[in-house]
Amino acid sequence: MENLPQVSQRLVRGLQWVWVGCAFLLVGGIIAWIIHLIIASWRLDDVIQASVGISIVAIPIFLVFMGVILYVFWGVALHGRKRED
Amino acid sequence: MAEMHDPHEEVLLAPIERTGRGFYFAVACLSALILWGAIAYSVQFTQGLGVTGLHQPVGWGFYVTNFVFFIGISHAGTLISAILRLSKAEWRRPITRMAEVITCMVIFIGAGQILVDLGRPDRMMNVLRYGRYQSPLLWDATSISAYLTASLTYLYLPMIPDIAILRDRLAKRKLLYNVLALGWTGTEFQQKVLNRAIAVMAVLVIPIAVSVHSVVSFVFSMTLQPSWHSTIFGPYFVVGAIFSGIAGLIVTMIIFRRAYKLHYYLKPIHFRYLGQLLLIMALLWFYFTFAEYLTGYYGAEPEEMKIFWSKFTGPFWPFFWAMVLCNFVVPLVCLARLKAHTIGKVLIASLAIIVGMWLERFIIVVPTLSFPRLPFPEGVYWPTWVEWGETAGSFGLFALFYLLFTKFFPIISIWEIREGRESSVKEVEERIISYLPGDAEEKA
Amino acid sequence: MALWGMVIDLDRCTGCQACVMACKAENNVPAVGADEAKRGRVISWMQVLTETDEHHQGKMRFIPRPCLQCDDPPCTKVCPVYATYRNPEGTVAQIYARCIGCRFCMAACPYNAKYFNWYSYQKEAPGQNPDVSVREKGVVEKCTFCHHRLQNVRERALAEKREFNPSDYVPACAEACPTKAIVFGDLNDPASEVAQLAHSPRAFKLHEELGTKPKVIYLTEGEGGG
Repeated sequence: MENLPQVSQRLVRGLQWVWVGCAFLLVGGIIAWIIHLIIASWRLDDVIQASVGISIVAIPIFLVFMGVILYVFWGVALHGRKRED
Repeated sequence: MAEMHDPHEEVLLAPIERTGRGFYFAVACLSALILWGAIAYSVQFTQGLGVTGLHQPVGWGFYVTNFVFFIGISHAGTLISAILRLSKAEWRRPITRMAEVITCMVIFIGAGQILVDLGRPDRMMNVLRYGRYQSPLLWDATSISAYLTASLTYLYLPMIPDIAILRDRLAKRKLLYNVLALGWTGTEFQQKVLNRAIAVMAVLVIPIAVSVHSVVSFVFSMTLQPSWHSTIFGPYFVVGAIFSGIAGLIVTMIIFRRAYKLHYYLKPIHFRYLGQLLLIMALLWFYFTFAEYLTGYYGAEPEEMKIFWSKFTGPFWPFFWAMVLCNFVVPLVCLARLKAHTIGKVLIASLAIIVGMWLERFIIVVPTLSFPRLPFPEGVYWPTWVEWGETAGSFGLFALFYLLFTKFFPIISIWEIREGRESSVKEVEERIISYLPGDAEEKA
Repeated sequence: MALWGMVIDLDRCTGCQACVMACKAENNVPAVGADEAKRGRVISWMQVLTETDEHHQGKMRFIPRPCLQCDDPPCTKVCPVYATYRNPEGTVAQIYARCIGCRFCMAACPYNAKYFNWYSYQKEAPGQNPDVSVREKGVVEKCTFCHHRLQNVRERALAEKREFNPSDYVPACAEACPTKAIVFGDLNDPASEVAQLAHSPRAFKLHEELGTKPKVIYLTEGEGGG
């Protein structure tokens, strides 16, 4: 980022937060959706075992994605940048 | 890392820096296909699915075949990238990016096929609002969402160092590359973080990919229909997907090797190894197919046999035997000896397999529906121009997405090649020495 | 709670298809036209299937096939959006407004009892049955045991402040059959004709081995033959 003026640097940082925010929204949205389907299945007295069973596998997986994305963002963009050699 | 280590790397950045006439010509051709598809779909959207060849009892045809086919192609990325990365196969380095991009682009096309197939696409939000998890279609939706998320992440993470190179080297799109590079400077800490994250994703992506095509197969095997209600479908479809995925990857590699002059990076040895993998998958595919049909034939249940004979000698025999030719005979002949004419042989085999695997999906979907259990009038399915157009448009759209990607990001992973040059030789040497007989106190 | 079911006596069925025509008139089933019929797109909630016997030349059997209203329906399992479901009285309902037209239920039904509107075959017009909706393109439809008639009968009983009489509820096909081959009623009521016939030694279910538990029970032809 050395070749960019100060204002652009702030813009870039802002957009990077937006970028991670999008990933967060995507994954979070999918988890919220799965939970919504479980609730709908319970309300309509349908086969709730299917919803719960699948969410037990699916939700942890999506949480891991979120974790990886945040880890990389933190490690590369935030924490990692302070140690520019 | 701003300096180029190797003048050959120029060729990896060339498609991003410059655009030639070939690109515009390709875009024009693809646009024509996409236009055909768009017109076909708009006719279908306004008039109804009646413009296709579907009818009672064959309610599923080209679109569902395409859905299974395209999702199958998406298994290219996982196999090559994840499995080869985890098994530390060094020859993967120029291939991983191409494979990962295929996966990401083709999933959209595959999922789109289902939307095209809906009688009421204006109600597609109903799946989100009122989805039922007992239905295999919802398993599909969840699994494909997981796979898409995983693949996008798994594509993006190894791209970060390359985007940093673009950020430092190129004059154009400075904002885009700066944002996406996340401030990468190649420090040891950043590299450790990235490698750890990539390793986690590589492990995670494999079971997700297996689940995706298993779940696609469950759409058929969870029904009670003869020739569908079979326990082999899960593994069968996964094997078929990896099979068609590798073939798709090889064709893509050959096209771009030619178009972007990547001969320095994509050498015959890469195609030879992929060709050997393809041969193994052909044999595996044949084994599953043989087991499936032998079981049906030996049991001789009347309804299953109706469908069996329709494929072997009945109305579907040209498609069935063409499938066997394309998926087994041609690959075996081409791939048995790959020392000479590697790329030509591997190309012919891959093109045959792509056609053959499409036919395999067709042979699974349509014959079962054509021969109902009850004495219902039988169906003869003939696709119309709408379905051909939609298929052509889908291929065109996928190719266009892929082509546009190569204009923004390097299609071969620059930093992984560098890593291969700089550290891998020593690392592999140390690894091999650790395998050879030695003293027990060697650190594990 | 009632469990609505049907018994069809194959010995009485002459294959006249009065049930088919009555059903189409009652439920606003569209006439798709000759071209569409040639392409295999006839919609016929009640359909008379013909089975020829390979071993006895010239013997033919007529099987009127409505939706078999299974108690363990393969179609409701696979619907992604709650557009088809089994209601507490045993009827498998179809919600046209929810259906997204994926046709999974059609692929799953072993009896081919579900039909699809490949085009918008008709608009709302005078002369149609006002109690039944007119379906647009892109949705699946099937026999509902003339569920609107049940609603009518219930509402009438409510309005007249009396008990609802189950024998007042008769689907169009049962009403129209000239030989009284189709008997309809409450399978849970041991006194009803339908419940008694369902236990007849001649009773059988189509593809019972699939475990769908259909509530349309057939009576096979007697000693005299079909």
